[in-house]
Amino acid sequence: MIQPASLLTIQSTSAIISFLGGALVVLVIAYLMGTSHIEEDSTSAKHKVYRLRGKYFFVLVFCAVVCLFLTLRLLPYTKFQGEPKQTVSVVAIQWDWKMKSGTFDKSPEEFVKDTAAKKEITLPANQKVRFIVTSNDVNHDFAIYNTKGVLVAQTQAMPTYKNELEYEFPEAGDYHILCLEYCGLMHSIMVGTIHVN
Amino acid sequence: MLQLSPLEIKKNRTFIKVWTITFLIVFPLLIVLGLLMRLNQGEEINLGMDKFYVLMTLHGLGMAGLLFSTSFAALWYLIGTRHVKLNLGIGYLVYFLILIGVIGLAYATLLGKFGAGWYLLYPLPFKNAIWPAWSTGLSIVSLIILGVAWLLGMLHVLYVLAKEYGGLTNLLGWQYLGKKEVKKELPPIVMITTISLIPGVIAYLAGAVFLVMFLMQFFEPTLTFNMLLMKNLIFFFGHTLVNITLYCCLGWVYALLPEYTGRKWVTNKVLVYAWNATFFFIIFAYFHHLYMDFAQPLGLQYAGQLASYFSAVPATAVSMFGVITQVYHSKIKWGIVPLSFLIGVGGWAVGGFAAVIDATISVNLVFHNTMWVPGHFHTYMLGGVVLFIFGFFFYLSHTREEQEKDISGKAGFWLFVLGAHCFIATFYTGGVNSIPRRYADYKGIPIESTHLIGAFLARLAAICIIIVIIGFLIMTFAILVKLIRKRVAITEPVQNS
Repeated sequence: MIQPASLLTIQSTSAIISFLGGALVVLVIAYLMGTSHIEEDSTSAKHKVYRLRGKYFFVLVFCAVVCLFLTLRLLPYTKFQGEPKQTVSVVAIQWDWKMKSGTFDKSPEEFVKDTAAKKEITLPANQKVRFIVTSNDVNHDFAIYNTKGVLVAQTQAMPTYKNELEYEFPEAGDYHILCLEYCGLMHSIMVGTIHVN
Repeated sequence: MLQLSPLEIKKNRTFIKVWTITFLIVFPLLIVLGLLMRLNQGEEINLGMDKFYVLMTLHGLGMAGLLFSTSFAALWYLIGTRHVKLNLGIGYLVYFLILIGVIGLAYATLLGKFGAGWYLLYPLPFKNAIWPAWSTGLSIVSLIILGVAWLLGMLHVLYVLAKEYGGLTNLLGWQYLGKKEVKKELPPIVMITTISLIPGVIAYLAGAVFLVMFLMQFFEPTLTFNMLLMKNLIFFFGHTLVNITLYCCLGWVYALLPEYTGRKWVTNKVLVYAWNATFFFIIFAYFHHLYMDFAQPLGLQYAGQLASYFSAVPATAVSMFGVITQVYHSKIKWGIVPLSFLIGVGGWAVGGFAAVIDATISVNLVFHNTMWVPGHFHTYMLGGVVLFIFGFFFYLSHTREEQEKDISGKAGFWLFVLGAHCFIATFYTGGVNSIPRRYADYKGIPIESTHLIGAFLARLAAICIIIVIIGFLIMTFAILVKLIRKRVAITEPVQNS
C-alpha cells in the first residue's frame, strides 16, 4: 500500500517536471511542423522569434538562479550536516558491506576482519545518524533504500577516503543497502540491511 | 568557397563512404549487445554475470567511440570539401588506427573477458579481476591507440583551420567582438568545430595521463594513485567525449539546415558569446559526475551545478532558438534530412533537460547511478546524435527530391524514433523507481518491487530495441542502395539571399 506522503518524492517530482518539459518540446516541434507551410519573410519571422527569445532568456536565467538558490542550500555534504545522535562506520569490500556503531578505531583492512562489523545493523528511527563510509578495495556506492524500495540517500565508498553521509530514518522497518557503483562481478548482489526500530 | 578538383572530390567522397559503411555495420552490432543486456536483465536469457559485464563494457566503449568518430568524420568531410583542404592521408591513418584500437578492444572483451565498464574506474581493472591480466593490458593499449588517433585527427583539423583563419582567437570568433571590420567571415561550422575540438584535445590529454598511469600500474602492481584524481581524470575525459560528440553534430546542423530553409545562419556576436560560454561549460560540467564523492572540494561541486545549469542558456536560447528561427514559417519541405535535424534537436532538448535535473546535487543524491542516467544519455545519443548522423547520411546519399519522396526511408525513420523514445522511457521510469544501473540482473535485490519493476522494464526495453533495429535496417537499406549505386551528393552549400 503506497502511503500518500510517499507520492511526492524527489523522483516523482523530477518525473513530472521532465514530462512537462518533454511535452513542451513535442508541442513546439508539432507547432513548427504544422505551421511551416506558411511563408513569411525571413526578417519578419526572425524578429518574431527573437522577441520570444528575449523573454525566454530572462525567464530561463531567473529560473536557473532561483533553483540554484533553493537547491544549493540542501546539500548532503558534511558542512551542511547537523550533530548526529549516532555514528556508524561502514567499509565496503568486494562484494559485501561491513557496518559497526561508532567511529573508525582501526584501518579498513582490520575493520573487515572484525567479527563485530556485519552486513546488518540495528538503528533507531527519528534520530540523525552519520555514516562514515570507505572502501577496502575498489570504488563502491553506499545507497540506502527505504522500506518502500525508494532510494533515499547515497555516497561513494572510496578507498583511502572517508565520505560522511547523514540520514534520519523516518519510520521503523527494514532499509536495504545496495551498491550503486560498478565494482566487479558480484556488484548486483552486494546487499546490506539496516533494521530500524 | 573551396575549389576542389574532380579527383579531390572523388577522394573525399570515398573517404566519407568508408565511414558511412563502417557506421552502418558496427552500430547495429553494438545495439544487439544492448538488446542482450536488457534481455538478461529481463530474465529472458541467462548470460551469466561475467558475460553481461563484458557486453556492457564493449557496448559503452563501442558506442561512445563510434558516435564520436562518425560525428568527427562528418565534420571532417564538410569542412574538407567546403572550407579548407584537409590531408586525407592523415584521415585514413586516423581511420586505421581507430580500427586497430577497436579490434584490440573487441579481442580484449569478447575473448579476454575484460569487463571493467567503459570507464575502467580505478582501481577496478587491477583488483580481484576475474579476467586475465593480458586483457587489461590490451584494453589499455587499445584505448591509447584510439586516443592517439583522435588526437591526431583533431589537431590536424585545428591546425589547418587556424592557418586558414589567422589563428585560434579568430577561430573562436573573437574578431566579431571588437569594433574592427571582420575581414574573413567565419562560418558557424568552423567556430563550432573549434569549440568542440579544443576541449576534446584537452580531454584526450587528460585521458592520456590516466591511461599512462594505468599502464604504469599494469607493469608495477605495487603502485597506487590518488583515487579522487583518477576519478576526475576519467570523468573529465568521458564526459567531454560524449558532450563534444553532440556539438560536432550541431556543426553540420548549422551548415546544412539553411540549405533547406533558404535562410542564412551566420556568425555574429551573440553566436560567438554563446559558443565561447559553451566552451567553459564543456570543461567544467563534468564535475556533476562526482557529486556523490563527498571528499571532492565543495567549490568544485558548486562549479558542477553552475556549469550544468548555465550550459542550458546558450544551448537553448541560441542554438535551439536558432533552429526555430530557421524553420518558423519558412515553407520548408520536410524531407528526411531537415526532419532528422528537427527531431534530433528535440531529443537533445529532452536529454539536456533530464541532465540538468540530475545535475542538481540534492536530486543527484537519489538519481546517481540509477537508470535515470542512461535515460538521459540515451536520449542525447539515440534521440539526438544518431538522428543527426542519419540526417547527414541521407544528405550524402539522396538528392533533394529523393529525400522528400523516400517513403520507406521516412517510415524507417519514424519507426526508429518511436522505438528509441519508448526505449528511453523505460530508463527514465526505472530511474523514478530507483532501479540501479549496471546491474546484470535484479534477482539479488531483496526489495521485491525493485526486482520486478526492473525486470519488467528491461523486457519492455527489449521490445523497443527490436523496433529500433527494424527502423535502422529500413533506413540503412535506403541509404546503401543510393550510396552504392549513385554518386554521393556533394556539398555545394546553397548560397542563400
